[in-house]
Amino acid sequence: MKGQIQVIGCKSCTEIPQLIDMNKLIEKASTMDLVVSTVLVGAVCDSKSIKQVVQEAKEREVDRVVVLACPKKVVNPALLAAFKKAKVNEFLVEYVNIRDEVVLPHMDDPPRAQAKAETMMVAALQKVMGLKPLETLKEQMRTRNVVVLGGGASGRKAAETAAKTGAHTIIIEKGTKSFKAPGVLMQNSVLLKSKGYGGNFVLTIRAGEKVEELQCAAIVVATGGGWTRLNGPLAKACKSALPLYELDEQIRAGKKMEGPIVIVDSPDPAGKSMQVRDYAWDESLELAIELKRRSTDSDITIVFQEMRAFGLSELRYKEAAELGVRFIRYDATGIPKIDPKEPNVVSVKDLAQGETIRLRFGTLAFASIPANDDNEGIADTLRIPMSPDGGIRHGSIQRGPVSTPRPGIFICGSALFPKTKDIAEEEGMVAGELAGEFASKGIIEYGGSVAEVTQEKCSACLTCIRTCPYEAPFIGIANKAEIRTQACQGCGMCVGICPSKAIELRNCTDDIIMQETKTMLRGDF
Amino acid sequence: MTPRRPKIVGFCCERHGLDSPVAAAKSGITYDASVRIIDVPCTGRVDGLHILKALEDGADAVFVLGCLEKNCYYDTGSIEGRKRVEHVRSMLEEAGIEKERVEMFNTSSTMTWRFPEIVSKMCDVVNRLGPLGKEGDEQ
Amino acid sequence: MIVAKRKPLGEIADMIAPYKKITVIGCRSCVAICLAGGEKEVKMLVSALKVKNKKEGRKQQFEALVVERQCEKEWIQEVEDKILDSDLVLSMACSLGAQTIGDNYPHKLAFPALNTGIFGVPEEQGVWSEKCVGCGNCIIHTTGGICPIARCAKSMLNGPCGGSSDGHCEVNLEIDCAWYAIHERLKLQNRLELIEQVSAPKDWSTSHSGGRRTYVREDAKLTQHQKKGKGAVR
Repeated sequence: MKGQIQVIGCKSCTEIPQLIDMNKLIEKASTMDLVVSTVLVGAVCDSKSIKQVVQEAKEREVDRVVVLACPKKVVNPALLAAFKKAKVNEFLVEYVNIRDEVVLPHMDDPPRAQAKAETMMVAALQKVMGLKPLETLKEQMRTRNVVVLGGGASGRKAAETAAKTGAHTIIIEKGTKSFKAPGVLMQNSVLLKSKGYGGNFVLTIRAGEKVEELQCAAIVVATGGGWTRLNGPLAKACKSALPLYELDEQIRAGKKMEGPIVIVDSPDPAGKSMQVRDYAWDESLELAIELKRRSTDSDITIVFQEMRAFGLSELRYKEAAELGVRFIRYDATGIPKIDPKEPNVVSVKDLAQGETIRLRFGTLAFASIPANDDNEGIADTLRIPMSPDGGIRHGSIQRGPVSTPRPGIFICGSALFPKTKDIAEEEGMVAGELAGEFASKGIIEYGGSVAEVTQEKCSACLTCIRTCPYEAPFIGIANKAEIRTQACQGCGMCVGICPSKAIELRNCTDDIIMQETKTMLRGDF
Repeated sequence: MTPRRPKIVGFCCERHGLDSPVAAAKSGITYDASVRIIDVPCTGRVDGLHILKALEDGADAVFVLGCLEKNCYYDTGSIEGRKRVEHVRSMLEEAGIEKERVEMFNTSSTMTWRFPEIVSKMCDVVNRLGPLGKEGDEQ
Repeated sequence: MIVAKRKPLGEIADMIAPYKKITVIGCRSCVAICLAGGEKEVKMLVSALKVKNKKEGRKQQFEALVVERQCEKEWIQEVEDKILDSDLVLSMACSLGAQTIGDNYPHKLAFPALNTGIFGVPEEQGVWSEKCVGCGNCIIHTTGGICPIARCAKSMLNGPCGGSSDGHCEVNLEIDCAWYAIHERLKLQNRLELIEQVSAPKDWSTSHSGGRRTYVREDAKLTQHQKKGKGAVR
């Protein structure tokens, strides 16, 4: 690569030319080594300007570009596309965000801002020379299958929505539930193993007696979950407490419960992570009303932190109160406690009166829905993380609301944390749609700025393999680490931890980072 | 001659870490110009070496800015970044250098006040501790 | 593998204070894997020392190098120029590395930057535990695969001492009692009768107490005729 750099200055936003001298900046750029073209445009996002700069780039045989404008995310992607057409590798275009990092925050000190912008430009020019042209590659997805784990409320909805996007859906259901669903329903099936990466997963599934391999493009985890036992200090003091769903079943089966009945809104009121969610409000109210309807003299108390029943269920709160259900509100200063010496009495500080109330009970229930003991195993098999409350944890919100940290695996419903059926269904729809869209892309794009191993340096210490959240590094035939490029997300975690410095992130090497730091520190501003 | 201005290096992750100064800029908050932003894809990419090298090359303080730990784009990246920073801090302590010069922060792209707050905090640290090394001592 | 740990930076700085030109040499074998002396650690140590010198106004010149295995003279010879050219070699390998440099270049100073500790097993990332002390006479086939010499604080040979309680050692409750573990393991393997066999006093002459040990493999030794000269590796 020859290294012919074009520097583009943008004065689109009115603040830039007012606060720093763009002409001076561009003039300085033109005196720098290897800079063959400098352009100052009105707005680099504007199609006319794009044409102008790319035309100039072609004429001067430019192969690297520094854009002094906004953050990369904001600049019009058409610019990159135009450069691509002009045979400038997209990874050799470096953006310097002078607008948000210099001009706006330092508007009260223009001379320093000018010096800072100049230093940033010099650093970017040095950096762009260190970059290497990279390619993004494409891999065909072998199937358009979307596997839905769990045939509950959210799983069924997920399968329905995914099918609408054109994906072929396969529901893996561990029980014998039978229902109408698009695609395939595999009953009595369990997930045993998983391999691969988003787009090309290979799952090993035991269906009945048979063990088979199943390829799929995306996975929706809809395994449900909740808590069956009390947790924390309450659990130690009281052994007889029932989860709400079990109480509900027993009552509907006609069993007479010993009164008075106390319903607590969480399996661990003292705990920080087991948050009270909507399922607790709606379902506690419903059951209390049902009990009162059966017998008006039944003594029912609901102990709660907040009553935020969902939508119209709010009316149930009123109805329950009118029927004579007792509500006691507490907060962190007076959580419900049971003295082990008196296992039939729960004491709680009533927020309304400020006094501690002792409630003798015959039956103690806590809000919960059936737990799924398999969740931990499923998370382990798919290698997605668990949250401290025993649910599966979702990924960063930037990846989407029902995402997991691994691309191609989506999660919905109570597998995250217990919720009511309608909310689980809503989530199922979102997860199904996203999984369907993911699968219908048909290709996996990968490569670009990914990690790369220098095998001679590798000590095969396994540190990278243990650290990577995406299972990109693996030990290859030569017993040295290699990177599964399709799975690599380019975060560089393995690069930063490698004790032998055998891994480098393409276009973000140690040298580039340290050189940039050094140049930035040389600037006097 | 004006007194030497503090030199602060901030390694910011490309996700929330770099959104943070943008959010601050959009809401019109100004802050000291002495901060030098170095972008990395994720704070997990930051190596203790980068931090030490920055101090060696003339920085008076270094901070690393990543996503909130529960909302990291790369799942465990900002936790990994924090561990690296803590390791460097313990090395500095062993070497008799104020560990306050190196700090890890987390932010999200909606916290407009966070970046200016971090910059002023690091400036305070440098103003309190003085520059690292003598004037004109940079290699 | 051999597990080592970096000495505190202050101690290293004091140790090297009188010298001007310092070559820091790491090792790509055991100490790289136990995150103590690989390329990354070498570079970080050098950088941290430079920062310290900068703060204190001291001038020293550093060079950072890594060799494949510092305990072998052939690998060290690859960086011979740098060793000869420096006032001091700071070895970031286990003590074997520092000693190999010292033995091969006796007029040069080779100081250790690491404390060499244990023959350890990585239990999880960042945690290494000692499971062998190299006594030279392995008996773990009789103790359910668990070494009582290394894993028992008293190296008991015939069952636990009186300080074992609930599977823990009296020395520190965080240490498991080796003999409790041996009992559980033998029970699992249906070989519990072994625990009743009395072991005679162990022959400690194979251990370090017999003085420095040398292991020789006669058939592998080269004859004078076969030996190659210096620098014949590459």
